[in-house]
Amino acid sequence: MSETFGVKVEDIFGTMPDRFRPEAAKGIDASYGYRITGRGSWRLTVRNGTMTIERTDALEGCVAITTADPDTFVGVNIGKVDGMAALTTGKLRVEGDLMALGATTKMFKKYVTPKKEPSIGEYILDMFGTLEKRFKPEAAAGLDMTIAYDIGGSEGGKWTVTIREGTCTVTEGLAAEPTLTIMVNAKDWVDLMLGRVEAMTLLSTGRARFEGDLSLAMKLGEIFAPYRPSAGAQPEEQELVVLKKIISVNQRFATGPVMGKFLNGLKEKKIFANKCPRCKRLQIPPREICAECRVRVEEFVEVGPKGNVRMLEYTYYASPDPLTGETRETPYGTAYILLDGCKGQEVFAHFIRPDQLDRIQLGWNERKGTIVRPVWAEERTGSVHDIKYFEIDE
Amino acid sequence: MDMKSRKKRRNVGVIGVGQTKHSSHREDVNQPEMVFEAVREALDDAGISMDDIDCVVHGNMELFEMIHQPDLWHELGTGSLGKTAFRLTTGGTTGATLFCAADNLVASGMYDVVMAIGFEKLQEGNTTAGITNMADPLWTRNLQTGALTGTCAYDVIQEFGEERAKRASMMYRVIMDKHAMLNPKAHRQFGLEFDQIDYLMEHSAKLVGELRIIHMCSQSDGACAVILASEDKAAKLGKKPPVWVRDHITIHREETFNILGYDNRYPVEMTHKVAARELYRRNGITNPLEYFDVFEMYDPSSWWGLDWIRDFFMLEGDEHLRLVENKEIMIGGRMPINPSGGVIATNPIGATALIRPAEAVLQIRGDAGPHQIPGPVRHGLASGFGGTMWTVLIMLEKDLDWEQESRP
Repeated sequence: MSETFGVKVEDIFGTMPDRFRPEAAKGIDASYGYRITGRGSWRLTVRNGTMTIERTDALEGCVAITTADPDTFVGVNIGKVDGMAALTTGKLRVEGDLMALGATTKMFKKYVTPKKEPSIGEYILDMFGTLEKRFKPEAAAGLDMTIAYDIGGSEGGKWTVTIREGTCTVTEGLAAEPTLTIMVNAKDWVDLMLGRVEAMTLLSTGRARFEGDLSLAMKLGEIFAPYRPSAGAQPEEQELVVLKKIISVNQRFATGPVMGKFLNGLKEKKIFANKCPRCKRLQIPPREICAECRVRVEEFVEVGPKGNVRMLEYTYYASPDPLTGETRETPYGTAYILLDGCKGQEVFAHFIRPDQLDRIQLGWNERKGTIVRPVWAEERTGSVHDIKYFEIDE
Repeated sequence: MDMKSRKKRRNVGVIGVGQTKHSSHREDVNQPEMVFEAVREALDDAGISMDDIDCVVHGNMELFEMIHQPDLWHELGTGSLGKTAFRLTTGGTTGATLFCAADNLVASGMYDVVMAIGFEKLQEGNTTAGITNMADPLWTRNLQTGALTGTCAYDVIQEFGEERAKRASMMYRVIMDKHAMLNPKAHRQFGLEFDQIDYLMEHSAKLVGELRIIHMCSQSDGACAVILASEDKAAKLGKKPPVWVRDHITIHREETFNILGYDNRYPVEMTHKVAARELYRRNGITNPLEYFDVFEMYDPSSWWGLDWIRDFFMLEGDEHLRLVENKEIMIGGRMPINPSGGVIATNPIGATALIRPAEAVLQIRGDAGPHQIPGPVRHGLASGFGGTMWTVLIMLEKDLDWEQESRP
């Protein structure tokens, strides 16, 4: 079974029950399908705050089916591949409800790659392999010494470190006449370097022996920067704290007499435009002046209520409704409608009945688009919601 | 002093530019720290210290991070303590407006050295909520969908046919990614290839109409700083030759979307076209495609990027499509557009329109590194876009050698 970043596709699915957060799945009753190229299909079912994951080709009724290659799928799950980038480039594809799928990201704790502790032998090799890099020439000024490391045990080895004229070289094998010899068991040496055991403990119990110039032994801590493992137990870094805030603000806006006339008209199922005395263009909603002619606009004209659709923003991406902060249901459509009595660019923006989106034809030059009519709300208060939406006039 | 520009009292040059590395999450730093990274780089680029700066102009998008007067908190990163400081915010064009304001402040003689700073941390707020609030609260806000729109795609498809239009916009997208791959500061670097065009046309998720997620610009965290100086000061202070700000123009239009009737009997003139025509007229540029060596365009999506080439270069028919189809907009091509990878790759919005002239300056100086255009770069063009179709257009020059303008 091949791996990506050391993780198998099966690891991601297999750990789902352990990573599940019931509190984030409250009120969710849905199935999600996953097709991983060359590996098979899985079905995740969430119900009443519980979940099951099964390997099956039966993905009927899933609210969303994700298709990806193993590398992309594993990469996204362990945070090595940006999910948005994968979605953008089509490496990860979703059929169905993208927003519903989004809920699953909160339902599971992040997959953490199990860390493998390096073996003693790997540590020893890494420690001597990084010694020259950790050497601090400024702390070794004037020193001329040879240190023999005799590291015992099956994973040990023998090294000689020569410090001369501000340089440090590490060679395998023991020098004939070292200034200092250090004899210690491999496991103890690793523990000492990782700070798990103190030098005095090893020396006083005879588990480590120094021969030769002991004053030089005391200097080793200054001459070399501390060993930091490149794998395995990492020293803890400071957590970077991110603060989360939500702002909720009540607002109220005066509409003024011109917009007020329009909003009051809606209560009576009338749509008012106003007409520029100079260029004669209509504005809906009406505006206090014509910005192009810079003159007051005082003549009101009733237009519509029917019209033809010039443009439809067929929206698949669920953006937040700025009035409520809630995510809009998709797909939805904002249409630019040329109401009866209007011409050219005098379009009026409103929504199209969601189940009719696919039947809307758009106008172009002389060609008319689908004729639509407003569906009025029962209770009208002088707001955008006085018209529920426009529907096909049939 | 030689008056080289009609409205300027004196010449103004860019003497330093700086940018952060842009990315989707700069959670390693807070806002002032991020701003400081760009400021530090700009000061180092100019070889000057904060003591040499007379005035700071700071800006970003209103409402995006929901911080009132971020210039107060950011003083830690901008170094504006004890100096004149202004804050500007004009939507998507903010960065370009910062640049123009800095130019005006120096050209007028009010200040000798001005630093423009634009930033955004889009991950710290809600971009779409911010953008929907740009519309008037009485009506349009209720219907607004943010910056996502399929109208441009619809336009181009209607004019040139579905197959050709979709292919050209995706070609534009892949070219931008190829440029971004060469720019170490760019945010999104996908490694797209031309042979993926068919796949992407079909499989990238749809946002609105034919606007797919691959077409749309990123949401980035990042900052940019640009230092402008008078001719005298530039000669004394700058360690590199200044890049001259020849002229700039800003064209607004009213805040309504009554441009979507799609009827050529009632033509709509877009601000890009008006800005380009007027700027070239007053500078005696008759063939902009011939004149400019590089264009850093504010291209919020590969549909807009494709479509706007025609407006900015005053082209006819399908000339702009052919420039893209023949890869003439690539580094090394006839008119390299966005060697940086553009806005589609990198979009910390309040900085985005300032990165445009900053990148054009790097190109003119020959300092762009891996994404440097081969050959001499003497004349640069940079654009900003925002609000309900506003345009800022900036002309940059390597040499102070342009003709005295003809007065109208």
